[in-house]
Amino acid sequence: MEVKILSAKFDIEGANKLEVAKQHGAYANLDRLFSMEPADVIEEVKKSGLRGRGGAGFPSGVKWGFLPKDTGKPVYLAVNSDESEPATFKDRYILVRDPHMLIEGIIICSYAIGSHDTYIYIRGEYTTQVKELQAAIDEAYEAGYLGDKVAGHDFRVDVTVHRGAGAYVCGEETALLESIEGKKGQPRSKPPFPAVAGLYDCPTIINNVQSIASLPYIIENGADAYRQYGTEKSPGTHLFGISGHVEKPGMYELPLGLPLLEVLEKVAGGVWKGRKLKGVIPGGSSTPVLTPEEAKTVTLDYESMAQHKTMFGSGGIVVLDETVDIVKLVKNLINFYHHESCGQCTPCREGLGWMKKITQKILDGEGTMSDVDLLRELCDNIEMKTVCVLSAACTMPVRSYLDKFRHEFEAYVTADESSVAEAK
Amino acid sequence: MADKIKLFVNGEEVEVESGKNLVDAVSAVGIEIPHLCYHPALGADGNCRMCLVGLEEGGPPLVPACKTPAQEGMKVLLDAEHIRKIQHDVMEFELINHPIDCPVCDQAGECKLQDYYMGYDRKDSRMTVPQVTKSKKLDFGGGVVHDQERCIVCGRCVRFLRQITKTGELGIINRTDTARVNIFPGRPIDNRYGLNVVDLCPVGAMTSSDFRFKQRVWFLKKVPSVCHGCAKGCSITIDHNREKYQDDIIYRFRPRLNQQVNGYFMCNDGRLSYRRENEGRLTQFRLGKNERDMLDVITGCNKEIAHSRKTVVLVSPDLSLEQMVSVKALAEKLGATLSGFSDGYIKTGDGDDYLISDDKAANRKGLEILGIDSSRKSFEEAMADAELLINFNNDLSLSYDESGIRSLLGDTRTIACSTHDDELTGQAHFALAISSYSEYAGTVINCDNVLQHFTKAVTKNNELPDVCAIAAELGSPLQNAGQAYAELQRAIGALSEYQPADIPAEGLNLNDSEAANVTA
Amino acid sequence: MSDRSQLISTGEPFQFDKERDAEFERLVKRYPTRESMILPALWLTQEQEGWISQEAIAYIADRIGTFASKVYEAATFYTMYNLHPMGKHHICVCRTLSCWLRGKQEIIDYMRDELGLTPGKKTEDGKFSLEEVECLGHCGTAPVVQVDGEFHENMDVEKFKSLLATLK
Ligand SMILES: Cc1cc2nc3c(=O)[nH]c(=O)nc-3n(C[C@H](O)[C@H](O)[C@H](O)COP(=O)(O)O)c2cc1C
Ligand code: SF4
Ligand code: SF4
Ligand code: FES
Ligand code: FES
Repeated sequence: MEVKILSAKFDIEGANKLEVAKQHGAYANLDRLFSMEPADVIEEVKKSGLRGRGGAGFPSGVKWGFLPKDTGKPVYLAVNSDESEPATFKDRYILVRDPHMLIEGIIICSYAIGSHDTYIYIRGEYTTQVKELQAAIDEAYEAGYLGDKVAGHDFRVDVTVHRGAGAYVCGEETALLESIEGKKGQPRSKPPFPAVAGLYDCPTIINNVQSIASLPYIIENGADAYRQYGTEKSPGTHLFGISGHVEKPGMYELPLGLPLLEVLEKVAGGVWKGRKLKGVIPGGSSTPVLTPEEAKTVTLDYESMAQHKTMFGSGGIVVLDETVDIVKLVKNLINFYHHESCGQCTPCREGLGWMKKITQKILDGEGTMSDVDLLRELCDNIEMKTVCVLSAACTMPVRSYLDKFRHEFEAYVTADESSVAEAK
Repeated sequence: MADKIKLFVNGEEVEVESGKNLVDAVSAVGIEIPHLCYHPALGADGNCRMCLVGLEEGGPPLVPACKTPAQEGMKVLLDAEHIRKIQHDVMEFELINHPIDCPVCDQAGECKLQDYYMGYDRKDSRMTVPQVTKSKKLDFGGGVVHDQERCIVCGRCVRFLRQITKTGELGIINRTDTARVNIFPGRPIDNRYGLNVVDLCPVGAMTSSDFRFKQRVWFLKKVPSVCHGCAKGCSITIDHNREKYQDDIIYRFRPRLNQQVNGYFMCNDGRLSYRRENEGRLTQFRLGKNERDMLDVITGCNKEIAHSRKTVVLVSPDLSLEQMVSVKALAEKLGATLSGFSDGYIKTGDGDDYLISDDKAANRKGLEILGIDSSRKSFEEAMADAELLINFNNDLSLSYDESGIRSLLGDTRTIACSTHDDELTGQAHFALAISSYSEYAGTVINCDNVLQHFTKAVTKNNELPDVCAIAAELGSPLQNAGQAYAELQRAIGALSEYQPADIPAEGLNLNDSEAANVTA
Repeated sequence: MSDRSQLISTGEPFQFDKERDAEFERLVKRYPTRESMILPALWLTQEQEGWISQEAIAYIADRIGTFASKVYEAATFYTMYNLHPMGKHHICVCRTLSCWLRGKQEIIDYMRDELGLTPGKKTEDGKFSLEEVECLGHCGTAPVVQVDGEFHENMDVEKFKSLLATLK
């Protein structure tokens, strides 16, 4: 089931080095690129149907088309390498194993959108990764793939790596821009959208690492080749991260559209320790959970996920076996989003902490049915009332656990002391 | 006039100014969209989420009104159940970690949270888990005391110090629900406008150490006035009160919105200048060192005036136009030299390019418009052989040092009409207590030629005469401020159509219209 | 998140060493505004000193030409900035979803029981400090531990023990 499009060089020893990468085709498309019109590049990417791999799945070519023309201001490209959504660990492989694919993608995107300055925003925790990425950038500068004349063409591309420092919310595109500007990572109200007023108030395109890294393949082989993989509305391949209770967790490149359970079975070795499946988180911790029953019919693409009232997200799949205590899991989730709230919107700032404490109260055996109801109601009261969707990234999954596993919450409420102790 | 556009609020068509956000646009036609973090002087930040309204047709279903420009044909939904529910929910989130200590909070009575709570919530708290705790009574410097637990993290104070004063002393530290306002250690609030954060704070998180716990705000009487701290003449509200068996005293000045003069703000010095209205006042009438009845002193003054072969009348540049007109009429009647010399009121370099003026006189423009000579030369020439100086509250100690005053006065006899008791009134041959600007009504013109009228705020137990009354007693043909105003209307054409009470609250800009109409 | 507003003053003036100074000047040219240097300058400080003092924040603000309150905001918002000295070896254990599912708690419990070390604290000899952190982006090899910036994947108590043994 696995394919090697983006991951083609991942297993090649030393492919992070320019020399080796070049032997395997890196930067081979630049002459072709510069012979194309930027508009044609955008057209090709639109045709490929490439959808943003940061989580929202927005068609990349379409997004580039939103840039206003001739504003007299510079256009910035910000590459989102914040990769902080729990269960997501794909971009890291690109940074470390094939950084030149990313740099080539940056050149392609820059040319298409008329940008000369790229900032790669990398999460601060990627300490070793940032060194490898910077080494590759330095090599690319030295070899003339970056700088004033990209591969001898009259086009400048400068790339600067900007390190985050421990804030999940900086993955949200406008928080990311604020962070590059030296501020706290607090998302901006939209409109204006970054394409119009982004970094330093200039037109800006933000794309995920994997989205950008998909470009060299598309330019080299054409949109149709890319569309050979995946489905009509979800073309291409994705670097899926499979974690949790499976025998062989890891990162796997797969075309979109495969049946979830088959992938778990054949690729990831099935639920570990011969245990039964309790649920699957399909696309990062912020996506609503699927019950084993629901998981039977879902395929790994945007449409099927939407039909199942969940999301493709970042493609980070988490498998929960029968032993998982859902209430504890919910506490772990809320803990995360509460910790990461930027703190500007009242409902998110105050509400997530409240939800966390109510969940703890239930876990402590002190909760009542009305606490469970309140928890459920707070999901509604917070969601979509805020500047960004971090709050929804918490409430959407929590609501799904409350709706699909309510009996587990109730068990804590009704249990007598001894059985609570046992459940702990 | 700005262009008008039509939009719908709750299905009803309203006409509003274009180019404004929804909060401001519809508030101009009397519809309030609840809001906490938005302040017109600081722009929209969009963090409190209190102003969420529905949009029917087109666009996202929910938008923050403070961030949404009013547009033609927009269908705004405010009075709908789901919107009221959102307002209720946001209030609930604001309140879960709030101490709700209104009984001991200075802001009680003018707290937006309290207002909205009464309007939207009023339900029992559903918060049954421990609250977030933060610090209280933090001294932020500049007379500002902060309570982190009451703070709703709206960021108004932070934005004020970054955008308006550009001093940036405050920040919001941490994130999530541990976010809190703080100064960087060792860099306290240190600018001349810092106390505005107390007014800006929609709740009781920012308090003034000067005002803290002095009065419950609902006991305060609030009277519009004009600050006399400098030539800017910021519009203010005087908050005063007479407690049982006590005198009427002023508790604070607060800026009053005036787009022509000071916008929403005022400087700290002006704000704290209320103290001078309460303290150090001259309340007696004296012959030499001896306290006498006012009438006795007036009689003494009139005898002195009759004997004097050369009299100089000095006015303060702080007097109202009415008072200046009265004194001018007095001087003419007495054949005295009239001077407004007050160079000492000008503190060169003290002003800034915002509100504070170098000139600490509230009505120097009045002197100019009334043609009162204020030059040092003519004042000193006149003083050289003057037998009598009648001083209407001009603080000579600002213009001269002690020996300067001694040599200026020589053996000139002095009548000091003064609001404050100081060395000069102590030395005067006649001292007459007069009311100060919080105790009379009057008109002043600021450094930008904006004429403002202010009303009487305070009524002292021992009411003092104002300058117009004293001038009349000493011989001015104008009997009171009313008559002086009529005279003023002749002098300033722009006033001809206004009775004092009709002068607009934001004043009259004489540059626009009638500076040329002055016939002094 | 716990309150991070309490800064520690060393009582000594702070400045970048030569190497960081040069790095600062090199980086500042990569941005159109000096304020963009707030995060990089905080990183340089942490590289140099291991943590960020009150004096360092003031220095950065003045060097960039911005309000100390802004640098203070950033230093307290971003949780990787250490606002007090850490142990000689700083251990971060991921506590989030996949690591939790795959047994991070055993490692935490081990440190509590064997070293008396709990999250947010240092061992008495100052050798280790422990922090529970959010998802480190290595969920496929959970549970994961980061020691002095180096990742250690597929951890369990046994492996963790031998890891500790290598830390001098
Ligand atoms: C709270 C939050 C966290 C996010 N984190 C990431 C992230 O770590 N990486 C990422 O690429 N996108 C992240 N996103 C999505 C970005 O906002 C944005 O949609 C994306 O970077 C756009 O790139 P794409 O179109 O190539 O996907 C996040 C969004 C939110 C609301
Ligand atoms: S929803 Fe939460 S994380 Fe997003 S902007 Fe508002 S407070 Fe910040
Ligand atoms: S102190 Fe007042 S103005 Fe400042 S953030 Fe808090 S509530 Fe807002
Ligand atoms: S007033 Fe609009 S969000 Fe606060
Ligand atoms: S959950 Fe621990 S690394 Fe992602």
